Amino acid sequence: MSLPHDYAHTHVTGESEFIDDRPMMKNELHCDVFFSSRAHALIKRVDFTEALKMPGVVQIFTGHDFAHNLWGAIFRDQPILATDKVNYAGEGIAIIVAETREAAQRAKYKIIIEYTDLEAVMTIDEAKKTQSFIIPARKIERGDVDHIMKEAPHKLQGKIVIQGADHFYLESQASIAYPLEDGQIEIHSSSQHPTETQHVVAHALGLPDKDVVCVVKRMGGGFGGKESQAAPFAAMAALAATKLKRPVRICLTKDDDMIMTGKRNPFENEYKVGFDQEGRILSLDVSLFSDAGAYADLSTSIMERAMLHSDNAYFIPHMRVTGQVCRTNHHSHTAFRGFGGPKGVATIEKVIEEIAHFLKKDPIEVRKINLYSDEGNRNLTHYGQIVKNNVLHKLITELETSADYKKRRLEIETFNQSGEDTIRGISLTPVKFGISFTTRFLNQGNALVIVHNDGTLQISTGATEMGQGVNARISEMVTSEFGLPRDAARVMPTRTDKNANTSPTAASSGTDINGAAALLASRKIKKRLSELALKLLEIPKEKWASKTAGLGTQAEVELDDPHLNENDPNKAADWASGCATYFDIQFKEGWVFHPDHLDKKIEFKYLVLEAYLNRISLSDYAFYKIPGIEFNKMTGQGDAFLYFTMGTACTEVSLDKCTGEVKVLRTDILMDLGRPVNEDLDIWQVSGAYIQGLGWVTTENLFYNDQGLLLSHAPSTYKIPSIQDTPREFNIRLLVNDENYANVRGTKAVGEPPLLLAISAWTAINDALKQLPHYKGAFPEVRIPATSENVLRAIMPERFTAWE
Amino acid sequence: MRNRVVFYLNGVRKEAGPREASMMLAEYLRYDQCLTGTKIVCAEGDCGACSVLRLFPHAEGTDAGNYVPVNSCITLVAQLDGSSLVTVDALKNKNELHETQKAMVQCHGSQCGFCTPGFVVALTGMVEEKLSRNESTIDVQEAKNCMTGNLCRCTGYQPIINAALSIDLKNCESVKERYYSEKQDAELTKIFSESLMMESDEFTFFAPKTLNEAIDYLKLYPDTKIIGSGTDLGVVHNKRKATLTNLLSLHLITSLYGIEQKGNEITLGARVTHTEFRHFMKDKLPEFSSYLDIFASPQIKNIGTIIGNIANASPIGDTPPVFLALQASVITTGPQGKREIPIEKFFLAYRKTALQHGELITHIKFNLPEKNTTLRFYKYSNRKDLDISAVNVAIRVNWKDENKKEIKEIIFAAGGVAATPFRFLKTEELLKKNLDIEAAVKEMHKEISPISDLRASSAYRHVLLENYIRKFFAEVV
Repeated sequence: MSLPHDYAHTHVTGESEFIDDRPMMKNELHCDVFFSSRAHALIKRVDFTEALKMPGVVQIFTGHDFAHNLWGAIFRDQPILATDKVNYAGEGIAIIVAETREAAQRAKYKIIIEYTDLEAVMTIDEAKKTQSFIIPARKIERGDVDHIMKEAPHKLQGKIVIQGADHFYLESQASIAYPLEDGQIEIHSSSQHPTETQHVVAHALGLPDKDVVCVVKRMGGGFGGKESQAAPFAAMAALAATKLKRPVRICLTKDDDMIMTGKRNPFENEYKVGFDQEGRILSLDVSLFSDAGAYADLSTSIMERAMLHSDNAYFIPHMRVTGQVCRTNHHSHTAFRGFGGPKGVATIEKVIEEIAHFLKKDPIEVRKINLYSDEGNRNLTHYGQIVKNNVLHKLITELETSADYKKRRLEIETFNQSGEDTIRGISLTPVKFGISFTTRFLNQGNALVIVHNDGTLQISTGATEMGQGVNARISEMVTSEFGLPRDAARVMPTRTDKNANTSPTAASSGTDINGAAALLASRKIKKRLSELALKLLEIPKEKWASKTAGLGTQAEVELDDPHLNENDPNKAADWASGCATYFDIQFKEGWVFHPDHLDKKIEFKYLVLEAYLNRISLSDYAFYKIPGIEFNKMTGQGDAFLYFTMGTACTEVSLDKCTGEVKVLRTDILMDLGRPVNEDLDIWQVSGAYIQGLGWVTTENLFYNDQGLLLSHAPSTYKIPSIQDTPREFNIRLLVNDENYANVRGTKAVGEPPLLLAISAWTAINDALKQLPHYKGAFPEVRIPATSENVLRAIMPERFTAWE
Repeated sequence: MRNRVVFYLNGVRKEAGPREASMMLAEYLRYDQCLTGTKIVCAEGDCGACSVLRLFPHAEGTDAGNYVPVNSCITLVAQLDGSSLVTVDALKNKNELHETQKAMVQCHGSQCGFCTPGFVVALTGMVEEKLSRNESTIDVQEAKNCMTGNLCRCTGYQPIINAALSIDLKNCESVKERYYSEKQDAELTKIFSESLMMESDEFTFFAPKTLNEAIDYLKLYPDTKIIGSGTDLGVVHNKRKATLTNLLSLHLITSLYGIEQKGNEITLGARVTHTEFRHFMKDKLPEFSSYLDIFASPQIKNIGTIIGNIANASPIGDTPPVFLALQASVITTGPQGKREIPIEKFFLAYRKTALQHGELITHIKFNLPEKNTTLRFYKYSNRKDLDISAVNVAIRVNWKDENKKEIKEIIFAAGGVAATPFRFLKTEELLKKNLDIEAAVKEMHKEISPISDLRASSAYRHVLLENYIRKFFAEVV
């Protein structure tokens, strides 16, 4: 049985501290954001007079109060607070600082504002028409797409509309800024990216980075929503704190958070595909269009990942994918678990479904025939990376059997003929998800490992804990290196004064990067301790420093080789245990020994004390960079990823013919996660990601007014899956794969990939629908999310037409 | 007359004056008592992160003597007068986690930890209920049902379900035994016998012992809001759409608790919760009871009153169509005395009722359906559980005889299709004359022009209604 999450025992008692759980300081103030209700408008007049008169209100700040009012994750294009013009409904305009949260919130309603509305771009179509784009379109191309398309025996073309989704992290955006002596500031933030939060705050206030520290203890969920978006809110609190010289807390209400912050990018993708009689894709031309919202945020990177995942698990010999990021007047969309991946994958999976429908084949056969394979040179992606360690075929065939796919498909077809109140569908989809940031320089991290005098450890890395268990995994890796139980180590809050220039905890790479760095730092200490242990073998115990150091009678133990310079966490490590060994010294169950001198074993904590007394460093810092990332963004070619995480899911759904309601009857998942550090943590990441993806493809509906102001901005109106929406039967298994030599300890990243497995629920909905008589020819057109209303429209389109 | 709210918090007697009493319980716990285990996420009772256990010894019915989970984010401290509360912070006993907590740890039921306290409270509430009934097992459906009011975004719920199923009830310590002493019971009984009046510049709260006092008070202060369970007012307050300043609470009036049955006639008081009513109706009108399964969350049902759902007069309220179908009467009392208003005359316009100034609802009364009656209730919401209706439908047909060929009487009511809970009088007439479904469907569409909003488009509401009525006749004829 795997160890639980490292703070599970305080989560269940409520002791685990989140931002707003920090004790309120006597002079602390609260901050709330006044935002735009218009999509695109000039601010004609803002009048704070009445708001300032409200009881408890201390001050109101605007964008003019910042030293620099622009920020951005990639392009610095977004005002922290809009000054002359608003570009989306929900854009911050002013912050109200008050003695209580309620006072700030109530004062907000007293602000008078007048706008002059401007022409707004509200849809991808409108953006295309007005050429409203963030950057010029990008293209990745291989082969002779047009010619092969022309010659292909069969051709289809179509479109898929994919809506966004709210992250719905339970803890809304939150920061507290503490002004310190000499103009310094300390920010406690619910942020996936403390370094960027630090940098944005420093830049906004005109401070050098050295005067700003960002601390992240944990987040109540992140999912990408706190990768870039935590920073501007931290900057708002920091502004007020510096101006008023009092701590300032900003904790958004769920409503304001949902209205203001960006979502998963909506996409509208078009495709043309040429294929043969067996369903083999010969040529594919995909045009991806995303809605970035008003500013760039991470949307161009998200698009890149969508383009790199438009093949999903399939070898497509001739392929062109273009990506166009549209600028609209919506909140600025951002990272969300899977990044662009789900949008690329959903598109190609719809293509597969359509091909199968056209050829009257079982989609699983079309999937299998198109899979990447080492045979016949079908293992090169459209961006020129070889798919190594490919288990796709194995995953699909194994799951097909264990989920009883064939038998259930036949049963479903019979069931659907029986005229029940429901119809059913089943679908099995794979995922191949590239692991690494596609931007090379982000693939770096650092870690600090401290061994204290009593033999307990503190570990600090750039990774941030948002529930995914990155800290549990890192501490398990580090303590096992020292032969200690996990609770011998504590992973400390992430702080930019300990770990600087870090990357966001994102792209599923938290453990890959920070775990490797922590392991490398541990090995530096371990190597020194090993050499010391070896030398102590030669010294009689009574002459050890612990007996003599105070007297100064003995010479110090000098290490001959105290340094270790290594960037590969798997080098010098025993593949079976994952641990490195130096000077043949073993670290096991709290003891350190040489296998030839078992009589002379020493307890870890005494060895540590000896090291201290011999002036041997017990702390170390390591830097790690992921090797081999060579992706040229200009040509769209190269090794974009260190490796791929692969998996497959089979989902069976039932659709209510009366209401369109979707029920997931059964889900089977099989994933290759390499060799997990903590198997249970991985499995429940899979479960959580799948259900989150299920919400995205079914019930989660973002409903805006004509100004783009989000109206479904609370759980009463925005419906994430509830406990009753879990599959009636839910089986998750991992494939044994001991051969991922690319990543630390043979593990594989798990955070994002299983979210894409929920696409199987959407294709299963399509599968059910296409068995209806009116879809004999055409393929059903159901957007993501397939809400009940969308599903019922597909079930009985004619009954709706009367009321449109 | 008391001027302080009295309740017990984690075994300790607390008094609250106007300042604390006017706070939402979650805020009071977090910012006044430094008990930050209880979290606030949505502040509208829709996610369960703020769940706390409440024992209210003065109500009648099945759960009156148990700690049950309620949402602390939308409950004023004032409303907890006479209650005993236990929060997540107090479940650990010395260094030992409660069995529900252990299960959540061992089964990986917690990831980010923000929703976790709420889940632990919901689970513990179920354990309390099980212990009180001497039950020894927990099944999957019970596990899911007890946590329907809790949202988690990390785990996908499966490990939480596993945690619930792993709990061995034999090892569970009873929270009630630990925290609810006889002394406490005696004290709460004592304070319950006295009216409560508290006043400050910002907050006035009156809780009389008798209806007459309530009516007299309303005469004097007509702007006073009557607060039932506050599950709606609490949300309005949190979203800063109104301020709760002058409140009248009926929680000390004993006659408003309890459900009475005389022959076929059932009368329930203003303080009867959904949970209590659901239990009561289980064998009397199972259709109603199971309809309430998909009403709100356990936390809301544990405190929200049936009559609140009527008084609220929302066009998408779940029970108004049902009471229309049951031809219930709303019993009110006021300066002019007692009135009995047939429910079809009660809803006048959008959120406007037949209640006159100074009047309040004391009871609702209806008859259980007689022989040869078919009753069906349907609810569509964007998520099956813990969601507000987009459309809900109640149909009751009294057949001329057992052959179910001719309709003697029919009531066809729906929510979500008009500004009020709506009765399709013309369609009913048509069906009474002739059981012609096609003609009825046509007429039904003509009677309404529903709005499009975030829950459903107008077209979808039309189609849903049509599908439901077709389904009804397909099923029953």
